[in-house]
Amino acid sequence: MAELGPVLEVFLGGLMSGVLYALVALGFVLIFKASGVFNFAQGAMVLFAALSLVRLSEWLPFGVAVLLTIAIMIALAWAVERLVLRPLVGQHGLILFMATIGVTFFLDGFGQTIWGSNVYQLDLGIPASPWFLFENLFPGGILVSPIDVFAAVIAGTLVVALSIFFHSTKIGRALRAVADDHQAAQSVGIPLNQIWLIVWSTAGIVALVAGMAWGTKLGVQFSLSLIALKALPVLILGGLTSIPGAIIGGLIIGAGEKLAEFYIGPLIGGGIEYWFAYVLALAVLLVRPQGLFGEKIIERV
Amino acid sequence: MATATVTPPREAAERSVRRARQIGEVLLAVENISLRFGGVRALSNVSFDIRRGEIRAIIGPNGAGKSSMLNVINGFYQPQEGRIIWKGRALSRMRPYDAAKGGIARTFQNIALFKGMSTLDNIMTGRILKMRASFFEQALWIGRGKSEELRERAFVERILDFLEITHIRHVPVGKLPYGLQKRVELARALAMEPELLLLDEPMAGMNLEEKEDMCRFILDVNEEFGTTVALIEHDMSVVMDISDRVVVLDYGRLLADGTPEEVRNDPAVIEAYLGVSHG
Repeated sequence: MAELGPVLEVFLGGLMSGVLYALVALGFVLIFKASGVFNFAQGAMVLFAALSLVRLSEWLPFGVAVLLTIAIMIALAWAVERLVLRPLVGQHGLILFMATIGVTFFLDGFGQTIWGSNVYQLDLGIPASPWFLFENLFPGGILVSPIDVFAAVIAGTLVVALSIFFHSTKIGRALRAVADDHQAAQSVGIPLNQIWLIVWSTAGIVALVAGMAWGTKLGVQFSLSLIALKALPVLILGGLTSIPGAIIGGLIIGAGEKLAEFYIGPLIGGGIEYWFAYVLALAVLLVRPQGLFGEKIIERV
Repeated sequence: MATATVTPPREAAERSVRRARQIGEVLLAVENISLRFGGVRALSNVSFDIRRGEIRAIIGPNGAGKSSMLNVINGFYQPQEGRIIWKGRALSRMRPYDAAKGGIARTFQNIALFKGMSTLDNIMTGRILKMRASFFEQALWIGRGKSEELRERAFVERILDFLEITHIRHVPVGKLPYGLQKRVELARALAMEPELLLLDEPMAGMNLEEKEDMCRFILDVNEEFGTTVALIEHDMSVVMDISDRVVVLDYGRLLADGTPEEVRNDPAVIEAYLGVSHG
C-alpha cells in the first residue's frame, strides 16, 4: 500500500482544483437557472472582479476593497440589465448568448484599460507553503495547498447559502419562476428587471469569490478570463440548472483529470489533463444530454 | 334562453335576475385601442367595458385579435393608440407588474406554468405580491419569514381544496396531464385574489368532462368570490351558457357587443362565423 499516499494526494489535489472549476461553473448556473441566458461573460466577470479587487486593495484596506468590488459588480449587473438584457427581452436564447459574448469582449478590454494588464499578486494572507497531512501514515505525508482548502470551504458555504436562497425564500421562488417562464412570471407580478438585477449581482459576487481563489493561485492576469472554458465541461457534466450539479461536476472533472494524468499519463506521454475534461463532457453529452443533475427537457410536439 | 345548452328556462330566468343584482359598475374599459406589429394591425379602434362581477366572453375567429386584447389589458402589449380605464383611472400604459399589483390575474392559451416546480410552489408564486418579509427573515425562517409562509401556505391549501387538486400538491406540474395543468394555472391566478380574472381559452383541448369541471369552477369563482371574469372561448355552447355579455372581434375590429342572445342573432356575427372562413 505504499502507492496509496501519492494516489490520495493526487486525488485530493484534483478535488480541490475541481472546487475551483465549480466556483466558475456556479456563476453560469445561477444566471442560466434564473434567466435562461447562457452567460459567456462569466469568465470575464471573474477577471474583472479580481482585477478590481487587487488594484483597489493597493490603496485601500482589504475589507474596504472587497466591499467596493462587490458594489462594482452590482453596478455592472445593473448596467448589463439596463443596456443589454432589457432591450432584448423576449428574444431568442441564441441572441442573448451572442450579447453576452459582446459583454465578454467589452469587460476584458475595459477591465484591462482601467486597471492595467500586468500580472498582479493577490495576497489573502493565506500561507503559501503547503500542509503535509498524515505524515505518520504515509511516507512524506499528503501535500495539501492551504489556498485550495480555503477555496473549498468558501465554495461549500456559497453552495449551502445559495441552496437556501433558491429553495426557501420568496425571491428564490421568484427566480425559479422567471427561469421557467418569463411571461407567466410577469403575470403573477414578479418584476423581471429586479430579478435579473439580483441574479446578475449574485453571479458577480460569485465571480469575485472565484476570482479571489484563482487570482491567489495564478496571479491576477488575463488568463483568468479563459478559465470559463474550463467550466464548460463541468456544466455539461453537472447540468446547466443544478447548483449541486456544478459542485459535483467540478469535483468529478477535477479528480478525474488528475487521476487520468497519474494513471494513464505515463502510458501515452502525458498531457491528459488538458483534454480529459472535454472528452468526459462529450461522453456525458452522448449518454445524458441534460447532465447528471439537470432537468430533463420534454417538449410537446 | 333558446340555445342548445342544458340550462332549463326557469333556472336561466332566475339566474339572470340574480346576475343583474350581482353585476356592478364598470371595472375596466378599453377605449379605442389600436395595436400594430410592424405593418400588421392586430387591433383597430376597439372599445368595450367589463363590469364588476360579470362573466364577459371575448369570441371571434382565429386571428381576430382576442389574445392580443388580453395582452393589452394585462400590459404585455402596449397599444399604439387608445387607453385603458382601470377602476376609474385612465392609464396611458399598463405594465404587467402594475396589472398584477392592481388585481388582474390571467391564464394563458398555451399553458404557462413553472414546469420544474411543484403544484404547490406554482400556486405559491401567486402569493408573491402578498408577502412582505425581508430576505433575511425568509432565509433564516424567523419572524415574518415564518409566519407569512405558513399563512400563505394555508391560503393556498384552501385553493387546492376548492379546485379539487389537493392530491397533486407535491407533483412537479410538468408531469401532470393537460387538464390538470390547466386547473393548476387557474389556481395560480386565483391565488392572487384577483378582481379581474382573464382566461385565455380555459377549455381548449379538454374533453367533455374536463370542460364541465372547468365551467363549474369558473361559475363558482364568480359567484362565491364575486370575481369578474373575462374569457376567450371557442366552444359556443359554453360561451352562451355562462357569460353575461359577449364581445365579438373579427380581423381586429369590434363586430358586436351584447348579451349572448343579441350577439347570436346579429347578422354580422352570423356572417363572420358561417359565411366566410378565415382559415
